[in-house]
Amino acid sequence: MLEVHIRQAATIFLETAIRIAPPDIRGWGQAMLGEMNYVEGPWAATMWALGGTSVMLKQALVALVIPGRREQEMVLDGGLFGRNASVRNAALVIGGACVLAALLFFVAPPFRQAFQVALEPYQVVSGSIQPGLKTLARQAEARHDSEGVAFCAVRVQDPRESARLAAEAVHLDPNLLWVYAAVAMRNPGLSETGPWVEKLEQWDPQNALFYLIAAESMQQANGHQARWSHLTQEQERAWQNVMAAAFRAPKFDDYFDRVAELNRRVVPRYGFRNPYEVASRDRTDLPLHAFQNSERFAKLLLQSGVDLEAKGDRAGAHEKYWTVGRFGQVLDSQGHTDLEHWMGTTLQAMAYGQLQASADKEGNQDEAALFGYLAAKFDPVKGEHTGFPPQSTFGLETSRRNAAVVEISGLMILVFSGLVAIATWILIVGTRRNAQRSAHRARPVATIVVLTSAVGLLFSSVTLYLTYRPYWYIFQSAIQSGDSVQTADFRYFLFGSQMIPGVSSRLHIALLDALFYSRSPSFLFYVWTGVTLLGVIGLALILLRHFLGRPHAHAP
Amino acid sequence: MKTPRISPETLLVLERFLERPADWLYGYELSRVTGLKSGTLYPILMRLEKHSLLEACWVATEDGVPPRHTYRLTPNGLELARTKLAEARPRSMVRQPAYCSG
Repeated sequence: MLEVHIRQAATIFLETAIRIAPPDIRGWGQAMLGEMNYVEGPWAATMWALGGTSVMLKQALVALVIPGRREQEMVLDGGLFGRNASVRNAALVIGGACVLAALLFFVAPPFRQAFQVALEPYQVVSGSIQPGLKTLARQAEARHDSEGVAFCAVRVQDPRESARLAAEAVHLDPNLLWVYAAVAMRNPGLSETGPWVEKLEQWDPQNALFYLIAAESMQQANGHQARWSHLTQEQERAWQNVMAAAFRAPKFDDYFDRVAELNRRVVPRYGFRNPYEVASRDRTDLPLHAFQNSERFAKLLLQSGVDLEAKGDRAGAHEKYWTVGRFGQVLDSQGHTDLEHWMGTTLQAMAYGQLQASADKEGNQDEAALFGYLAAKFDPVKGEHTGFPPQSTFGLETSRRNAAVVEISGLMILVFSGLVAIATWILIVGTRRNAQRSAHRARPVATIVVLTSAVGLLFSSVTLYLTYRPYWYIFQSAIQSGDSVQTADFRYFLFGSQMIPGVSSRLHIALLDALFYSRSPSFLFYVWTGVTLLGVIGLALILLRHFLGRPHAHAP
Repeated sequence: MKTPRISPETLLVLERFLERPADWLYGYELSRVTGLKSGTLYPILMRLEKHSLLEACWVATEDGVPPRHTYRLTPNGLELARTKLAEARPRSMVRQPAYCSG
């Protein structure tokens, strides 16, 4: 009995495929169907039918894309789904079910966030930068919510707005004074930096961070491009004094923990789920200028140590070397971010290298071996204790690949949605009594476009959801419990989702650099627009060929 | 005359036709002797027919059972099959086929 049912099901499969196939191919489908009566065994018959179905579907697809390829026996309302209204209706029902299923994904918060991430590259196009954050800032100000305002202050890209929000947050709650540091660290050129640093030094004495901010503020006040060469002797002395204070400071706090705590409070309060914005402070890191200033001052200190050593002052020289090493240790042990650890290990490697050279000169082989070992251990490139790149579970390549899948899936959702909308409109127009003949003729093609696009829409939605789901949990875990174990994966993923899939990271960075300096923020928009346009042009060409290239109908 | 792409599977089909050049063969029969699935076999047959290398005809069967499609090579098809198989044989003598047990 079961055998009969399986055979019947296989027959229905093949018969359906034959109906879909172009007329000139249907004879071959009938041939395969006829042979099914002689295939031994229900499974063998099913496999035979599936093979035949695949042949028919492939031919249908070929006929759709290249209509003039075969001399088709055309009928007036012919083509795919042209003759059989029930098949066309079934296709539309399946298409509608797929669209509905795809829409249901939007109920799931992970999917909404995934879609938001996938469309992030297009955000630049809208012309409004950080629209969600601006809305949140307005709401927080209206509620006099100091934490909400502080949350926005450390993320808003516009320096003036960021400074205004920081002042507002501190005005509402003086305990949020650290927000000045978070804002000034990003924007040391602000006119408020000087007064802020003075307040911060009183509030949290001995924190090296404020001196690093002050040093960069001096740089930027004198023009950012030339860095140190333009400084007068007096300015150079002032800069060195500030850097010396940073190197003497016993503590380094970037207030990363306070920002994370702020995230945990504000994000659920406002339902603010934009991962780019929430993680933006985490990704910002200590700016590169802090590294440049520290490295330069470390070199000056080490050189002054070498000079002292040449004069026979070994103790004085070692004091200089150890100042560099100690500051490296402070940064490495108390820092939170990639660049802070990188700075810490670099400074330590520089100091230990100099101490090794000094021990070598004195013929102290044991000490030289120890410092040599430490210098190699902290080597920022080859050493085992670099702290960079941060540990991740998935790895950079996996996260980049996942990001590419999410980007492409998001784009495909848009493309398929557009196709479904256009084809549905054609179907609606084609059913009207006074519809043009071309609209009637387009209905079979529109049906297959609806069906294939709806299936594509569902497939893209499933892919997007499943790919982003692990990152959603990482995000939730980081927000709710402060668990930062896998935040490196999340950062890699977010970074990857702003890159172009398939382009090597080196080339991508080179492109971004070039475009950054040419001040063209819409780079990703142009790329994606180009890709989408090519797709649309390709589709238009297929449709044109279908309608212009099809032979005239003739009587059978 | 334009000839279709001759894949190893096509050669297999041509070889079977050459064994009984005058006989009409059924699709399922060809599938069994060549070991090719319907999804592979029929595109080959369709290609050969399109290039007029194969002729096909419907054979009536008993009442209630659909007619069967049968195939045999045309004279052009036979000529091409002999040429291609002659070309392929020296190569197959050098390269041991994967399915050869000896």
